[in-house]
Amino acid sequence: MIAVELRKLFRRPRTWITIALLNSLPVLVAVLLKLTDLAPRPGEGPAFLSAVLTNGTLFPLAALAIVLPLFLPIAVAVVAGDAVAGEAQGGTLRYLLARPAGRTRLLVAKLVAVIAFVLVTVVIVAAVGYLVGTTLFEVQSVGATTALSGSTLTPEQVAWRTVLSIGYVTISMLGVAAFALFFSTLTDSPQLATLGALAVLIGSSLLFTLDAASDIAPYLPTRYWLSFVDFFRDPILWRDVVRGLGLQAVYVVVLLGAAWANFTTKDIAS
Amino acid sequence: MVRRGWRWAVVALGLAVLVALPALVAALPADDRDLSAAELRAQVVASEDVAFSGYAISTGGLVLPVSDALTGVADLLSDQTALRAWYRDADDWRVDVVTATGETGTHRDASGTWTWDYADQRASRGDDPPLALPSAPDLLPSALGRRLLSEATDAELTRIAPARVAGVDAVGLRYTPADAAASVSAVDVWVDPGTGLPLRVVVRSADTDVPALDTRFLDLDLSAPAASTTDFSPPADSDITRDQDLRDLDLGRQERADLPSALAGLARRTFDGVPDQVGAYGSGITVLAVSALPGRAAGSLRDQLSRTPGAVVDDLGVRIAAGPLSLMVAGTSTRDGGSGTYLLAGTVTLDALAAAARQIQEAGR
Repeated sequence: MIAVELRKLFRRPRTWITIALLNSLPVLVAVLLKLTDLAPRPGEGPAFLSAVLTNGTLFPLAALAIVLPLFLPIAVAVVAGDAVAGEAQGGTLRYLLARPAGRTRLLVAKLVAVIAFVLVTVVIVAAVGYLVGTTLFEVQSVGATTALSGSTLTPEQVAWRTVLSIGYVTISMLGVAAFALFFSTLTDSPQLATLGALAVLIGSSLLFTLDAASDIAPYLPTRYWLSFVDFFRDPILWRDVVRGLGLQAVYVVVLLGAAWANFTTKDIAS
Repeated sequence: MVRRGWRWAVVALGLAVLVALPALVAALPADDRDLSAAELRAQVVASEDVAFSGYAISTGGLVLPVSDALTGVADLLSDQTALRAWYRDADDWRVDVVTATGETGTHRDASGTWTWDYADQRASRGDDPPLALPSAPDLLPSALGRRLLSEATDAELTRIAPARVAGVDAVGLRYTPADAAASVSAVDVWVDPGTGLPLRVVVRSADTDVPALDTRFLDLDLSAPAASTTDFSPPADSDITRDQDLRDLDLGRQERADLPSALAGLARRTFDGVPDQVGAYGSGITVLAVSALPGRAAGSLRDQLSRTPGAVVDDLGVRIAAGPLSLMVAGTSTRDGGSGTYLLAGTVTLDALAAAARQIQEAGR
């Protein structure tokens, strides 16, 4: 069933259009930077963007930082929100469930497909970022990348830490995916499920900026998203990364539990 | 309906456990130790050689009315600052201020400090000056606790309830300054009983429940960090500058630098390298600094202070309080370099500031 869902997802032109659109923003930013030579100051603007003019190999990270706050979660919410509600709206959910596989397995298959989408998307954003970065900007062959802490990172260290960042960003998206998937089991409208997940996302981002909400900040789904930057401190600061992973795990477990409780007992009419 | 219900019950139960878990862990009681306040203070003062690495958060509750030149200090005392620290000994440590997309690191070695600023790609070198503005490393609980308790007398110390700090059962100590001029009502310090390392410091003032400063470790590891971690050499393409030094400040052409030997009941003390125009008074957490002020600086500072809500303006000058910190521009300002204009700043009450200003005026006559 998982293979069926994966095939279905990646055969849809819509999936690839989404990924292409997602890549357009970092590419546009790279072209503008190249044309104007105006990079933001370090510590301002999207993370790592300041450093790409002198080191194009950092552009995959800058590309991730550019799409992370909004573009990437929107894409994830669209795909995950469509997972169950899209089938219901299209009238195909009944037929899917007529198979003996069971609703729990369908839910798991949908989740795996969404995770695969996130991973493929993040890897493509990073790969396109690398291509664009190394084509448009200077590449430093010897280890001269300055970590946030002022020490020097070798190209191998940069590559390894970029891989860690890609993994971390992928996992950071699972909370949004779980919200959208849960909403997708509540409604027959995929748009409603997507909007629900985006409302959570925007609410979380807003509360995070508010001092008055500092007590609940550690529990907000977007709280630790930017912590992939911590891979580029020296030594690596694991504290927020570990908390980010734990928090996403909690959201996934609770929301999938709720999705499962709802979906396995729901009357399917369409 | 029953079949439908158990699934939701499982989810609700799981959610309840997850939500309650942080509160349950936080509510775990901490063990106390049978140590007197004086013993504990002695342990804290002797903890300078305890190596550790850790992560700390400092939250300041003060709003300082300062100009752009001092925003760094104002941010330290009004905002939340995340600190990463590696400490090998008093002359070999590193403290990083961590922000979402950057950091500022201070690396101490035997002859001074390197400060690395990622945002400016700048490394600056300083040499442990006798006069310096507060900086992030001063806010680390270990450094702040040692400093604040170093001059506390046994009579000013009491034991308070223990607390769990960074996973350690830390024993509590309260320092209530005895000076009548004191604006800090109490300093609470929680200490690791094994090493004497202060793990949390809360500075309170009498007028509000919100601590003026609350700094604590969230993670602590008592093994010695590697020398390579505290070491620093500036990156090849960075700017290298020298730290700005308060000794270079133009204190104006004050002819009379003879400040009284005591102000507001606080005795004057001397420090090597501090110019005569700057007087330091008091001890422990109750201190007052007095400096002659060039006329042009006095005018703008006076204007700024008098615009601050709650400012007291009278014939002695302008004075304000921000939590336990108080600030005053005393005397008259003239454009020709100042005749008897002074800046008074410290952790004393506004009444004590007024008394000190009056004494300086009388001494000048």
